[in-house]
Amino acid sequence: MDMDSMQLFNIVLTGVLRGGLYALMAVGLSLVFGVMNIPNFAHGEFYMLGAYFSYFTYTYFHFGPISSILLAAVGTFILGAIAEKTLFYPLRKRSKKNWIMNTFLLTLGISIVLQNGAKMLWGNTYRGITQYWPGKVSIASFNISNDRIAGFCIAMVTIAIFWLFLNKTTMGRAIRAVSQDETGASIVGVNLNVIHTLTFALSCLLAGLAGAILLSISPAYPFMGVQPLYKSWFVLILVGMGNIGASIYGGLLVGLLETFAYMKFGSGWQDVVSLAIIIMILIFKPRGLFAKKGVKSVSE
Amino acid sequence: MEKAESSLTKGGRFIGKFGFTPLSIAMLFVLAIFPLVLQDEVITRLLISALMLGALAMAFDFTAGFININNFGYAAFWGVGAYTSALLAVKLGISPWLGMLAGGILAGLLGLGLGFLTLRLAGIFASCMTWFVALAMFAVTANWVELTRGTSGLSVPPLFNTTGNIGYFYTILIMTVLTYVGLKVIIKSHIGTAFRAIGQDLQAAQASGINVTKYKIMNFTISCAIAGVLGGFYAHFVGIITPTVMNTSHTVEVMVLSFVGGRGTIWGGLIAGLVMIPSMEYLKGLMELRLLIYGVLMIVVMIFFPSGLAGLYYKVVQLIRKNASLTKGKKEEKDVRRAGL
Repeated sequence: MDMDSMQLFNIVLTGVLRGGLYALMAVGLSLVFGVMNIPNFAHGEFYMLGAYFSYFTYTYFHFGPISSILLAAVGTFILGAIAEKTLFYPLRKRSKKNWIMNTFLLTLGISIVLQNGAKMLWGNTYRGITQYWPGKVSIASFNISNDRIAGFCIAMVTIAIFWLFLNKTTMGRAIRAVSQDETGASIVGVNLNVIHTLTFALSCLLAGLAGAILLSISPAYPFMGVQPLYKSWFVLILVGMGNIGASIYGGLLVGLLETFAYMKFGSGWQDVVSLAIIIMILIFKPRGLFAKKGVKSVSE
Repeated sequence: MEKAESSLTKGGRFIGKFGFTPLSIAMLFVLAIFPLVLQDEVITRLLISALMLGALAMAFDFTAGFININNFGYAAFWGVGAYTSALLAVKLGISPWLGMLAGGILAGLLGLGLGFLTLRLAGIFASCMTWFVALAMFAVTANWVELTRGTSGLSVPPLFNTTGNIGYFYTILIMTVLTYVGLKVIIKSHIGTAFRAIGQDLQAAQASGINVTKYKIMNFTISCAIAGVLGGFYAHFVGIITPTVMNTSHTVEVMVLSFVGGRGTIWGGLIAGLVMIPSMEYLKGLMELRLLIYGVLMIVVMIFFPSGLAGLYYKVVQLIRKNASLTKGKKEEKDVRRAGL
């Protein structure tokens, strides 16, 4: 096997793994925006909290990998529910005027508080683990660590379960109903308060899960959430909202693009390249790459 | 007696044209003589940064409070002004005063470009776009080491040859007043009405014949150009700049000032800057705590006081007027009600 195809394989592998993460994040982000009209800029911080949760459960309390990841998911779910009940619920009760802008600023405030709170509590150090599952898989002459395979599989399985939940269960259908027509849904007896809390908590769960899965690859750090947040917004702009399948494509696309730009142009310049591409897309395909009926578009 | 009164109201109307009230003139006067009376370099420097951030917050509000788009990359335009002015002075030996102007022009041109980019995007996605552009601008500044010296920073010649800060203080005071008057005159004209219409309901504005494209781009250009000029001032004031001036945390700082002050008022951000920056200075040793307080303030303001300090002020004024009119009779009350509306 020559160097070039080796490098290409590496790019694809890293890109796909990152893409899985971005998809997981983007699904949560798009869910909250679709159902509650909240542009959640604190989404990355729940990713960060997930990483810290699994770090502490794994290293201090010696839980197994799966149970640490699950605990991180449960933890961020609970924190998300608390945030919704204590912050967004009062705001919704007080006023609905200028809701998107107000919640945007509110989530920004939450993000600042969580970042700096984490920094005060746990310091500015990286807290990571070497691996959840030691060992690697060899295909031909490539070596892929078990963690990467497991991480990608967990991400995809989670998205699949989530899709089933949204489409096949009563609760999931209620969430989708609210995202389509809030008043209509409440007339037919959907409890909006429950749906809102559940939606926000679920979205936080997805972010926390992503942080926990990737702990061995990107260690826990107070400001680790900014990059994934930025990328998941990138995905949403690319594919539009409210379509889980499109979010997966978008996530993989952004992951590959970013890794490729990183390899080709060096670190630092990949932001410029990604931005140039997104500008082109917005100019030539302002309705997103997968524009179709039922997908909320980003243009007016 | 009557004559004096009428000339007084005339005067009031005249300063009102530039967005002043007798109270604000008095406050401005106190502020202007403050450093002369106190003669304290630390406090003067504090006032300079308060005024600078306050002016930025006003220009930020010009976009966020009127056309309802959060320019989440605002600090990058500030940074562009800083780097333009600094590089012109360092590489070509151009006077800092011209450099600041050049910084404003370049930032304004970039703002024009940003206006075009965000044109087709709905509210929150427009904010995302400004953020992405700012991140890219940051990346370019940090990585173009041959020009900007990257993260090692660029040392910038000062604006004045003296060691004192008084010169800087009056420069930024004049710049702040000019920013305020300029923005206020625009807002009071038909252009401001168009901005408000766009911010409140884009479709309705379009339907009533407002050229949305023109006004949106005009707004972005003006607001970014002001950031550029202020950035130039900042570079020559602090003497060394690194790409971190373009950091999102600076945008957040300006944004918090503008929203705590009260959106859509222009002056709110300045007042918030003058109150918050000096009081935050006491927490300088605890950087995290300072940011934490910003975050908490943001949350509290959004949930409980969406109209900020300005809203509180108007409420107090209304209360005082109501009490006064109760004692005076019904006719005045009617007038007040009309004025209040």
